[in-house]
Amino acid sequence: MRMLVRFGKNARLRFISHLDLQRFLHMALNRTGLPIQYSQGFNPHPVMAFGSALALGWTSEYEILDVKLSAPMGRRRCEEAMRFALPDDLPVLEVKLVDDRQPSIMSQVYASDYVVRMNGEGADAVLSAIDGFLAEEHVTAMKKSKSGEKEIDIRPLVLSLERCEGGFNTRLMLTEKDALKPDLLARTLAQRAGVDAPEMRIHRVNLLGKNDAGELVPLMEQ
Amino acid sequence: MNLSDRIEALMQKVQKPVRYMGGEYGAVMKDPEKVDVRYAFLFPDTYEVGMSHLGMRILYHIINRREDTWCERVFTPWVDMSAEMRAAGVPLFSLESRTPIRDFDLLGVTLQYEMSFTNVLEALDLAGIPLRREDRTDADPFVICGGPCAFNPEPLAPFVDLVAIGDGEEETLATIDVYKKWKESGLPREEYLRMAAQIPGVYVPSLYDVAYNDDGTVASIAPKPGSGAPEVVKKALVKDLNAADYPDKLIVPYGEIVHNRIMLEIFRGCTRGCRFCQAGMIYRPVRERKMDRLMALAEKLVANTGYDEISLMSLSSGDYSCLPELAHQMVERFAKKRVKISLPSQRIDAILTDTLKETQKVRKTALTLAPEAGTQRLRDVINKGVTEDDLIRSVSDAFEQGWSAVKLYFMIGLPTETDEDVLGIADLARKVRACYFAVPKEKRAPGLRITVSASVFVPKNFTPFQWCGQLDSETVIRRQMLLRDELRKIKGVDFKYHAPDLSYVEAVFARGDRRMADALERAWQLGCRFDGWSDQYRHDLWLRAFEETGIDPDFYALRERPMDELLPWDHLDAGVTKAFLRREWEKAQRAERTQDCRKGCVGCGMNRYEGACDK
Repeated sequence: MRMLVRFGKNARLRFISHLDLQRFLHMALNRTGLPIQYSQGFNPHPVMAFGSALALGWTSEYEILDVKLSAPMGRRRCEEAMRFALPDDLPVLEVKLVDDRQPSIMSQVYASDYVVRMNGEGADAVLSAIDGFLAEEHVTAMKKSKSGEKEIDIRPLVLSLERCEGGFNTRLMLTEKDALKPDLLARTLAQRAGVDAPEMRIHRVNLLGKNDAGELVPLMEQ
Repeated sequence: MNLSDRIEALMQKVQKPVRYMGGEYGAVMKDPEKVDVRYAFLFPDTYEVGMSHLGMRILYHIINRREDTWCERVFTPWVDMSAEMRAAGVPLFSLESRTPIRDFDLLGVTLQYEMSFTNVLEALDLAGIPLRREDRTDADPFVICGGPCAFNPEPLAPFVDLVAIGDGEEETLATIDVYKKWKESGLPREEYLRMAAQIPGVYVPSLYDVAYNDDGTVASIAPKPGSGAPEVVKKALVKDLNAADYPDKLIVPYGEIVHNRIMLEIFRGCTRGCRFCQAGMIYRPVRERKMDRLMALAEKLVANTGYDEISLMSLSSGDYSCLPELAHQMVERFAKKRVKISLPSQRIDAILTDTLKETQKVRKTALTLAPEAGTQRLRDVINKGVTEDDLIRSVSDAFEQGWSAVKLYFMIGLPTETDEDVLGIADLARKVRACYFAVPKEKRAPGLRITVSASVFVPKNFTPFQWCGQLDSETVIRRQMLLRDELRKIKGVDFKYHAPDLSYVEAVFARGDRRMADALERAWQLGCRFDGWSDQYRHDLWLRAFEETGIDPDFYALRERPMDELLPWDHLDAGVTKAFLRREWEKAQRAERTQDCRKGCVGCGMNRYEGACDK
């Protein structure tokens, strides 16, 4: 049996790196008292995975922890244990138990929804560049990766994009092959508007996968 | 923007923002409207260092157990953050509630190390609290210092309101009780100091006058007439450690800190009587926690923190009276929970081997041993009760059981040291290496690593070496080079040593008097911060600060002090008597040993505390 825990990452904790969060959740799982499945070997650790790593500085209400249990447990008991083990700023939002055979959460991620809020000069210019961006068929941008910079076409990776109070909402592709981060989108918009990218706060709202009918649905609802 | 948002804005600009974040699991949050006293606890170093400190964890827990008080943490911001804070006008704030430190009632400061003194001034300044006590008003908290360096607080005397010497558990609570009484009384600020001076272990520097002789030595230290302050301040002592409060939950940090594990103090004090060791003198007598209490605490701490390692802490954990049994029980109970048991500061003796076997069942670490000196003669001088045979037996056993990494700690510049003593260190390293190769190849773990670390000896107050001069830097460097060249001839040995500059300034402050305060403040003004971090340390600025304030650092660090000289800390009583320390100093010069006091009383003076010492 596997336990899927959806949790949030509040503003106060947004500077915790993914690696540190992993270590922290390792200890958090230790203190749940739940029958967590541990890896074999010299330094056993809980068998766990994440929906998708959140970049440093972002907040979220849709982080998913995927943990293997060594014995069947009740959903309510799991939820209570997770609430006890996590601090207020990593709120437990939803707990679901799934069969071991269900594919890993990470492999199901297809897209992610974000709210990007911007501050100060340039914010309006960025927002006014949205319509022009959506009208294009191709928009190239420089994507930084470990191996260096690469020019990619980001337009097809933007599934939706619309203005909202203080910024924009967007749905971006997030697969192993095709992924776009909202800060690169914002910087591209700023560049098209001829301004410096403004200060921004990025918040993840949802992680989505495809159901059997090929429709995008939130991962916890699959 | 409110303060929290302004802090957030700075956090984006600095390295390791987690240091200033707070919000950890186990951090105590309270409603400020529902407490009477706001207590800020400052550890004057980085978050990673401060959070690894057991004393702070204990006091945080004990203070927060009171419903009427909220204790929050604060650390000295790293240089990048302090620059940002000054530029943005953001005052020093607490981690829990992000309240300006100046708005607290009491500011406790733990002094673990002389080289953190500039960080205390830096924190006060960032908080907007006047550095000098006499400039503070009702808008400022009272500054209370504790920790080992509080046993010579004189260099900080003008900057602090109270000094709490000795065990902090009861004493800290008493300073809060008296604060509440004072607050209700409506009396002026000065009155709190007079009231607090009556608490056992509390020293109020401003209530004492110090006079000096023409030669620069101290002529007298005495309470001001009518102040009611005691002639001699005796350290506070927790007599029964079993009854003493101890945390059963801990803050679990995100990210790495220096010691990220459960720290379980198995006893306090040490009976060994190593003559260089201040901790071994000032934390007397030995007080053990009982095994059932330790097991119960460990159980709760594992459940409440999720840590996978318990460190059995003390000054010399091998001396715990039933260590093999404790280690065995711990391993048995926690191995199935994948919790590792570790012993810091391992001592060299027979018992060690059995214990090692136990801890090894869970996981293996490098073997760390501290012979401290290279020859038996010098080990006798410092009363380090370890022989070469002990060392050889320990490392041989360890190598046979699959260890391949050994760390050996030594000091250079110990009293009476000669070149032969220093070369003796290389000799020991050579013998350790031979022990490894004496184990059959198929039995030993591959990859021998021997690390030899040699620090520079700093004579400390309240030790038998408080009268002796520190070895001059030139000789220290010459001997470091001598040892380095000798160790280069041995394969597989790594030598670690440091420039003696930092240890020299440490020696100045360890035995400094009140006149050092001006030099300290000047050094801070010149930009000295985080002096214990070699990448931040600025020897040139320190020398300039001494010169500009008319301080001769050699007078404090290098001078051998005559027996009849009044020492700057003679009005404090650390438990061990001056007569005992003098006897030990004389024996040291004759290379005579003193026995472990578990084998019979050595007359250190602790029996003056009723019921403290049943040996």
